[in-house]
Amino acid sequence: MARSDGTEVTVRNLRVYISGRPILKGINLRATPGSILAIMGPSGSGKSTLIRVINRLIDLNPSATVEGEVYIGGLNVLSADPYDVRRLTAMVFQEPNPFPHLSIFDNVAIGPKLHGLAKSRADLEEIVRWALEKSQLWEEVKDRLADYPHQLSGGQRQRLSLARALALKPKVLLLDEPTANIDPVSTRKIEESLREIARDLMTTVIIVTHTPQQAARIADYIAVLYNGELVEYGPAREVILYPKNEFTKKILEGVI
Amino acid sequence: MYRLRRLKSQLFTALSIAVAILVFATIAHILLSVAVNGVGVIASAGIDFFVKPPPPPGAGLEGGIGPALAGTIILVALSAVLGVPLAVLTAVFLAEFPHSRFSRLVKLFTNSLLEIPTVLVGMLVYVTLVTSTGSYSILAGAVALSIVLLPYTSTYVERALEMVPATYKEAGYSIGLKKAQVVWYVTSRIARRGIAAGILIGLAKAAGETAPLLFTLGGALYSYPTSPASLLEPGNAIPLLIFTLTLAPYENWHSVAWGAALILTLMVLGLIIAVRLVVREVKV
Amino acid sequence: MAEPRHDKLFYYTLLPFASTSLAIVLLLASILAVNSLPAIERYGLSLLTRNVWSPVELDPEASDYGLLAPLLGTLVTATIATMASIPIAASLVYVSEEVLPARMLRVRSAISILVDVMAGMPTIVYGLWGALVLAPLLLNYVYQPLNKYFGFIPLFACSPYTGLNILTASLLLSIMITPFVFAVVRESYTQIPLSYREASLSLGTTKYEHFRIMLGIIKPSLIAGALLGFGRAASETVAVTLVVGNAFNLPYCLLSPGYTVSALIANQFNNAPLYPYMESVLLFSGAILLLLGLVSNLAGLIMLSRVKARV
Repeated sequence: MARSDGTEVTVRNLRVYISGRPILKGINLRATPGSILAIMGPSGSGKSTLIRVINRLIDLNPSATVEGEVYIGGLNVLSADPYDVRRLTAMVFQEPNPFPHLSIFDNVAIGPKLHGLAKSRADLEEIVRWALEKSQLWEEVKDRLADYPHQLSGGQRQRLSLARALALKPKVLLLDEPTANIDPVSTRKIEESLREIARDLMTTVIIVTHTPQQAARIADYIAVLYNGELVEYGPAREVILYPKNEFTKKILEGVI
Repeated sequence: MYRLRRLKSQLFTALSIAVAILVFATIAHILLSVAVNGVGVIASAGIDFFVKPPPPPGAGLEGGIGPALAGTIILVALSAVLGVPLAVLTAVFLAEFPHSRFSRLVKLFTNSLLEIPTVLVGMLVYVTLVTSTGSYSILAGAVALSIVLLPYTSTYVERALEMVPATYKEAGYSIGLKKAQVVWYVTSRIARRGIAAGILIGLAKAAGETAPLLFTLGGALYSYPTSPASLLEPGNAIPLLIFTLTLAPYENWHSVAWGAALILTLMVLGLIIAVRLVVREVKV
Repeated sequence: MAEPRHDKLFYYTLLPFASTSLAIVLLLASILAVNSLPAIERYGLSLLTRNVWSPVELDPEASDYGLLAPLLGTLVTATIATMASIPIAASLVYVSEEVLPARMLRVRSAISILVDVMAGMPTIVYGLWGALVLAPLLLNYVYQPLNKYFGFIPLFACSPYTGLNILTASLLLSIMITPFVFAVVRESYTQIPLSYREASLSLGTTKYEHFRIMLGIIKPSLIAGALLGFGRAASETVAVTLVVGNAFNLPYCLLSPGYTVSALIANQFNNAPLYPYMESVLLFSGAILLLLGLVSNLAGLIMLSRVKARV
């Protein structure tokens, strides 16, 4: 498979209001190709909102207003057509949500099919296989690609969601607490594949996580949000070993 | 003191149970009357009941509801063809653009259409379509029924689309699908049972309505729809036939009306049961 | 962050289809309004205040109309039906939500299925049963004794002949609208927060007292149910036409045959083109029906939104 050229994500002075209430209060952030940025913070700190700005899913919330600048490479995210943005990005959600009406195969194939990424059926099968391998699900489902998601375990469903995202060969992969509700084995597999994706494909990976251990295991950079503000940002080792901010300490200790 | 209060409560409970029993006895009486009288007349007319026109007034029971049965089937099918696409597209519009100003207007008017006396729908189609074509027709009846069906189906389909969990729509958008694609490939597929239920409810309404047909269909007692050209000629439908037969002072027509009511009730309740079966199995 | 181009296209593609219901309602309202004008110009307010129905073929001068009897008939039948259906529906809610223990799920769902059946049954079937079964039954066992022993009350003073009269229409309508009123009331009832229920029960209330308190909380929905039921009763056409008797009597006596606006339209509209002004008069009466339906429905919906604000 071709290596995609990585694309940097830059966030400048980002402010988001929902129904007039400030959710993000001037965020500056950068995520670089080939690395994993973990976003941490207590619930309600604006983590999910932040990654939903990057792929413009925030548009689905009509009461949200967004100010500031977000770039994916040279693309101005906030003024671009959201579909152009979402073609560069892909996302994995907190709840495993493969489409319940599509087979395992079709769940992975739907993106490449609709975006015309496959020239032939064989091409498509190749992409599906590749994405399922990358998300470490292939061995478990290769003989039952026509099965439906409800026949899979929660962890398998989440890896299927990851495969659906990877099949688009995204430059930027966004994950919103992807392992919050799944088993440890699948969690480990997802973490492994994220490292591999960042390293091998030069993908920019941004993951919202609530467990410091997970951030320590996979992140290259850590950003900590508290109450809509960025209180800490730096290389993962530094943030973990020498947190500057008291909230960061509390978060790393698992107090909040 | 408390004993008195308790007595009062028990009295009220007994009274309420009595009322409930009375209500269900009434509904049971209606269903049983239809079943007993209907089975009687259908048994004595045999298969003729489904194919022959009604017997002459005051004569025996050798006849049935043939033209009206055929008419109802054609009317329901035709009104579905006219009304269901409109209803589904309206529902998609309302579910997908709920915040547009026009959406609120459409919603308000769809709700009003739901509550408009259906006899007025008959008047509307009469003034516009019947007077301009110069004749009552099956087509005019179907147009009237499609107007009746429209708000029911669109309301139910809209609700079904809205009940699709937001996470699947988000997932659709996150892989770069456009709104129309999310509707087509994701939302409508996940909501398909609810959509089917909405369509069935619309069909049940169309099959059971009488008032919209009073001034549109013509109530032809004896002629069958035979060719596509018949769509522009007067026809009949089971509800309209029951109305005509019941208003008339002939015993044998009343008997035929009971038989027709049995068939109609079975059709409509069958559709309602189908809705229950379809919707109960929804799993998302 | 403007609406993306494709979505705008989607919006404008759907727009004409979504506009149909709006167009139909507006077209109906304007057709009723425009076509009632000749009748309004000719008869003015007296259309509402007199009880006359004397169409004369080909003679516009001699033809005379006044809708008082059907108008009062509609108001009286729909009011009686509504007043009867409210306590019935409330009793059903009480039985299904308070009397039946929660573990009797099957009985509860049987009730909801039966109510569905009631609501879904074609109105013509109610009409048929009303005309051929209910009316004779009421005549023999209720109206004749009522007239005999309570004839001194003006409402029952007229001797009943056929059983097809204002009271039969009202009772049939009350059966027909009960499932709708029930649905409205029960929906609000089940949405009362647990904390209110607990608060009421913790006061040591009896079942009946508890129910009264709960009904108090959702009082607007009782009113909403009444308004929506009234709207339905006033719009109902064929069942009423079959049982109301279709005679231009003012409804002073409930046992005499009467008329409602919808029954008048159902009976006369097909012949209307033969008589001067009749079509216009009937379309005018249709406009009144539309107004009555829309106003009671709108008021009902406003009431319902108040319940939502409350609980």
